[in-house]
Amino acid sequence: MGRAVGIDLGTSTSCVACVIDGKPQALPGPDQRLIQASVVSFMPDGSRVVGNAGKLMMIENAENTVYSAKRLIGRKFFSAEVKKAQAVSSFKIVEGPNQSVRIRILERDYSVPEISAMVLMEMKKIAEAALGEEVDKAVITVPAFFNDGQRQATKDAGTIAGLNVLRIINEPTAAALAYGFGKDLSQKIAVYDFGGGTFDISVMEIGTDVFEVISTAGDTYLGGDDFDDRLIDYFAERFMREHDVDIRTDRKALQRLKNAAENAKMELSEKLEVEINIPGIMESMSGPMDMKYTLNRNYFGQMILDLIQRTFKVCDEALQNGKLTSEDIGALILVGGPTKSPIIQDAVKNYFFKEPQANIDPELVVAIGAAIQASTLTERKAGALLLDVTPMSLGIATAGGLMDTLIERNTPIPTESARIFTTTHDSQTAVRIKIYQGEEKMYEKNELLGEFRLADIPAAPKGEPKIEVTFEIDANGIVNVTAKDKDTGQAQSVQLTVSGGLSKEEIEKLKKEHGAEGEEVATFKPSAELPE
Amino acid sequence: MLDQEFVRELNSVSKVIDDLDYYQILKLDQMAFDEDIKRAYFEESRVYHPDKYYNEPAEIQDKINKIFKRVCEAYKVLSDQEKRALYTKLVTGPDRKKHLRFDLRLLKAETEKKEDEGQNPLAKKYYKMAKTAFQNKDFKAAKINLQLAIKIEPSNQTFQDKLKEVDDILNAKRAYKPPRP
Repeated sequence: MGRAVGIDLGTSTSCVACVIDGKPQALPGPDQRLIQASVVSFMPDGSRVVGNAGKLMMIENAENTVYSAKRLIGRKFFSAEVKKAQAVSSFKIVEGPNQSVRIRILERDYSVPEISAMVLMEMKKIAEAALGEEVDKAVITVPAFFNDGQRQATKDAGTIAGLNVLRIINEPTAAALAYGFGKDLSQKIAVYDFGGGTFDISVMEIGTDVFEVISTAGDTYLGGDDFDDRLIDYFAERFMREHDVDIRTDRKALQRLKNAAENAKMELSEKLEVEINIPGIMESMSGPMDMKYTLNRNYFGQMILDLIQRTFKVCDEALQNGKLTSEDIGALILVGGPTKSPIIQDAVKNYFFKEPQANIDPELVVAIGAAIQASTLTERKAGALLLDVTPMSLGIATAGGLMDTLIERNTPIPTESARIFTTTHDSQTAVRIKIYQGEEKMYEKNELLGEFRLADIPAAPKGEPKIEVTFEIDANGIVNVTAKDKDTGQAQSVQLTVSGGLSKEEIEKLKKEHGAEGEEVATFKPSAELPE
Repeated sequence: MLDQEFVRELNSVSKVIDDLDYYQILKLDQMAFDEDIKRAYFEESRVYHPDKYYNEPAEIQDKINKIFKRVCEAYKVLSDQEKRALYTKLVTGPDRKKHLRFDLRLLKAETEKKEDEGQNPLAKKYYKMAKTAFQNKDFKAAKINLQLAIKIEPSNQTFQDKLKEVDDILNAKRAYKPPRP
């Protein structure tokens, strides 16, 4: 049996951690860094370069290098986020079966969970190298505001990577665990988690052995990547005014600008002014054109002010739903790379009237919390109990267009709710029901999770069959649907089609395929009984 | 290994849980304070949290899950003033058996009953006409009547909410384009 680790599978970076001799710690990769880029670069010879090394290939191998796959995971092809990614990504995004998203690399289509699985395999490899033993189990974290489809797809990625996914836990909850475990605290805390592609806020009450999420809210369309986009647009427009050409039309130039913008953003956390300098970014009739501009922190702060303000709207929502004000918060924890920026730190301080907790590395804390949870689950030790909630309401479509809410947001999980369904005409043998997640009254405005079909209903006059359908949200935040005949107690067949998801068979097939690919040369064990 | 006595308790609790109300599940009496409810939720979590039984056989885990789901549900309802009041009323009433588990639809019906139908007789009349129009799916007429009612009583929340609902429906209809024949 192998070891269990915690993995923070982030939009732009990932991190793996493990509890070693009772101490949770992040594990270094081949380049000795604790944080790896969530980037997969496909080489023409069929090999893959993943992590920080993969990121280095982003310019020369732009078309075959996939980044920010988390922005696409569990999303449907026609969603706004996918459209946006399609416009700005250097790799090709195409439509797959069942409204899913596929990434076309070297004439092969990959599903998004496959790409994420490649990042997870790399994290698994890093952990195995650092620990010197096999790793086959993991707790994987997701943004608290991830919906069912996104959670399911993340879990599928873990399975494809050959990991037994012990649990999917929420990033802010993991961070709180890393902060408070073993400290005998008793306080209310706020976890402000600004990642590369998502924003979450969780308000929690933590004690010695119980960590309760009071409320959570988030925005899965907002992250540090958006800061890069602002910078790219700013520099590209300045360049356009001067030279009358749009850099954004040239994939390679755009990729170079993207890298420069990202570096400028990070440097602005340390310095008050930075220079970006890209010689020969584009060719013109009169020779190569250079891009050379300076940018100061204040101006950058103004550029992203509205994005930061958006996070506070979400914070208001979480506090209101928890019936709390910012004065009730005893400790403030910042999570995610972008929170290293003084611009965000100052704004958050002003909002909560509080200094954030020092001595917490915002980029490692989530993986460390996941590692603590992984060790609690596998080692039969007394750990902290996580009492988490579902971030959005779950409901079904009704004939009038309204959503019939079955489970409200911020309900502690696991939880379930049942409804009785019947037929509307004689001898009807199947009933179709659509499931949605969201807070809007009209179901059409919420996110469609999928559709299920109650099949093989025994023929009877209309209204006579009584089928009780139970909607469960499990400890992973994943929705399960079961049904039984109310009168006979017999299980009723339910066929669930998750929009944009992979089927069980596909997952098994991919697991075998990638597992074999990732397998290195079989280890040779010299036997003690070698013939002499 | 699990304590034999605990396994016996688990078996009996999972058998009777469908007949218990939320107060019984959390071992509380109906006068319990809010703090008691949270304390009881934490206490029951310490016993029944699924993470504590992660490595036990499926049969144990299923029972634990069944009980813990009900613990969570009980806490969700009893820790909310409005839900708790309605639940307590129903579960102490004649239809106790039917109301052991809270139904969100009943809360919705209750809030609708509590709606403010207006103080001014004319506003009342417009609101009534709006409601009739709404029932007849004449949303445009409903909107006009609601706007008239709001002109008379601008601070009436029920009117405002209803208008928002009507607007939502109208917008949804506007966005919908019927397929060409």
